[in-house]
Amino acid sequence: MSEKEDAGCGCKAKAPEDIGRRDFLTRATAALGAVIAAALSATGLGYFVSPAFQRRDEDWVDLGRAGEFKAGAPSLVEFTQRRRDAWVTSERRSSAWVVTADGKNFTAFDPRCTHLGCPYRWDSGASRFVCPCHTAVFDLDGKVVSGPPPRPLDQYQTKIAGNRLMILPKAEEKA
Amino acid sequence: MESWHEEYKKRYAELKEHGKSFFPYTVFKDACVALAVLVVLFALAHFHPAELEPLADPTDTHYNPRPEWYFLFLFQALKFFPGNLEAVAAIILPGLGVLLLLGVPFLDRGAKRHPLDRPLWTGLGLAAIAGFAVLTWAGMESPMTNPAEAVDPQIAAGRRLYDQMSCAHCHKIGGKGGTVGPALDKTAGGETEEWLTRHFKDPQSVTPGSSMPKMNLLDDEIKVLVAYMKSMHAEEPFTAAAPDLFTENCAACHKLGKEGGDVGPDLSFIGTARDKAFIKKYVEDPSKFKPDSAMPAYKGQLTDIQIEDVARYMSKQGR
Amino acid sequence: MKNRAATAYAWVCERTGLDRVWTALMLRHIPEAKGWVCLLYTLGSATMLIFTVQAVTGFLLATNYAPTPDHAYDSVRYIDSTVLFGRLVRGLHHWGASFMVVFAVLHMLRVYFMGSYKYPREATWMAGVGLLLLVLGFSFTGYLLPWDQKAYWATVVGTTIAGQTPVVGGWIANILRGTDGMGAPTLTRFYALHVLLLPALTGGLIGVHLFLVIWHGISEPPKKAPGKVP
Repeated sequence: MSEKEDAGCGCKAKAPEDIGRRDFLTRATAALGAVIAAALSATGLGYFVSPAFQRRDEDWVDLGRAGEFKAGAPSLVEFTQRRRDAWVTSERRSSAWVVTADGKNFTAFDPRCTHLGCPYRWDSGASRFVCPCHTAVFDLDGKVVSGPPPRPLDQYQTKIAGNRLMILPKAEEKA
Repeated sequence: MESWHEEYKKRYAELKEHGKSFFPYTVFKDACVALAVLVVLFALAHFHPAELEPLADPTDTHYNPRPEWYFLFLFQALKFFPGNLEAVAAIILPGLGVLLLLGVPFLDRGAKRHPLDRPLWTGLGLAAIAGFAVLTWAGMESPMTNPAEAVDPQIAAGRRLYDQMSCAHCHKIGGKGGTVGPALDKTAGGETEEWLTRHFKDPQSVTPGSSMPKMNLLDDEIKVLVAYMKSMHAEEPFTAAAPDLFTENCAACHKLGKEGGDVGPDLSFIGTARDKAFIKKYVEDPSKFKPDSAMPAYKGQLTDIQIEDVARYMSKQGR
Repeated sequence: MKNRAATAYAWVCERTGLDRVWTALMLRHIPEAKGWVCLLYTLGSATMLIFTVQAVTGFLLATNYAPTPDHAYDSVRYIDSTVLFGRLVRGLHHWGASFMVVFAVLHMLRVYFMGSYKYPREATWMAGVGLLLLVLGFSFTGYLLPWDQKAYWATVVGTTIAGQTPVVGGWIANILRGTDGMGAPTLTRFYALHVLLLPALTGGLIGVHLFLVIWHGISEPPKKAPGKVP
């Protein structure tokens, strides 16, 4: 490298318009570079961060005709849920406890105890849900009657569409 | 070291001295071209997105394999070599080409650099470009021997799902599959989309007592299955004019049953080998499929409706 | 404020030599190419830009791509149909591949017809030829990844051609495919080559190529030797 370059504009006395041109080109180059970088990074960033803002489809599961559920006693309904995970479609077998007092309003409970995830059962004699692991007891509304669970039974969202009962099982498995 | 090397270095150092700074003078030009290239690239990507053909199917016998355009010249060159010399065209010549390319600086070592001062090398370069261009052009012109079938991606996806869900355990399509449920190519295509959709959501809701289980299908899965079912719609009927059209235009060369000429192939069973879409394209212009065919192109001779009619008629022959 | 920026700049320069690197790389003088010829000198940097585009879009595509025969096609469809800018990004990568070949070749033709590969730039040329081969390698391996009909059959033909090599052809074809016929190992192999090996080799060779360009200085536009026109 010759020593001329140390000052950036050289030692030769340059005409002012020469300096002006250099200055202009520097700015123009920076601007062009910025446009190129912006175009690429805007596209890339949009693509990369889009999962954060993506609306996910609600995976409602059809449990059957609403009129077929007995009022009063809860029933355990098994269902298969077909789900799309980006490009993978998978099936998951699961179940829910469905409770209705009048055949119009429904409650659906996650079938795992909120204590440690054991599958609880319905004790028809006592009209209570009973967990086999640590003898937790829940009432028909899912409230803790006795035992160690930290919260009432987890509920799934329910709705009636047409005359069919739909539930929305939570997408994530809880640990 | 050759004699001109020192001199060149000296001359180059001088040129450099009188040259301009890389930044911003050269970088500015680079950035202008870079932005132009990027704009074209974005425009192409936006207006002509990359295609996605149907899923790879190793059993497909109708596909016309073609390489990316810049390998087409190599692909085309293979046609000029008989089978036992194929290695020459496929491996040895390209290999020598690469070696030649690598060796260029060692073969052309004089001080002269201007293209007009090196007629041999300039000529060689131009010849290579011309050869590439001619072979690529020939490759693009060469006919697609297999009939290109346009496949609706929805229908293709539906067919794939049909396979994945093992529907053929119970249902028949094209004579293959189980007998528990109805043969779908005979029945399902005639149903309305709405009926099919409800059926796929819950078979019992439209067919009480059906032994088909609820498949828990997702909405878009139902959509592609419906598209697949509808594609099997009982084939379109031909009109009463179609047999006459055949007698007037085709029977001079082709046999149908016992009637007809012997110049072209017997078409009595054509419907078992070719579908309507293929026959229609073939009748429109046979040279696209068989460059040496003696059959004239009927596009323009017959109206499009007449060709469609004949194609429908032919696709029924032998079925 | 200005003072503080200057202090920070001085701190960085002292630690990294940024100012000297800038001077050496960017403020070096190069022979002037006058007129339209100067456009021919932008082909190399244009190729470099396209490589950058390929690297960026390639990374993005890889975030949503599964290199297995049962999911590759669906993951590409997912990119096209669901991911924000997915179709655009795949389009950029697709067209970028063609552009890469076009601009690398145009750049090479410029160098060829101007005799720029001559002393002292023979090694620069050879590195360039190596880069062109890598570009073709990218193209060959990348073409398979969508696992559609075009991809599958082009690779069947391509690997069969490689199998024509005298003596060792059968081995080469099996090494490329990773199995008899084509299957899951073919796809993972091509993917690994496409996203790991080839980018690493290309990055290294671009480094060598650029170093040599700067080391020797860019060649000046050739002058017609005095005398008769042939």
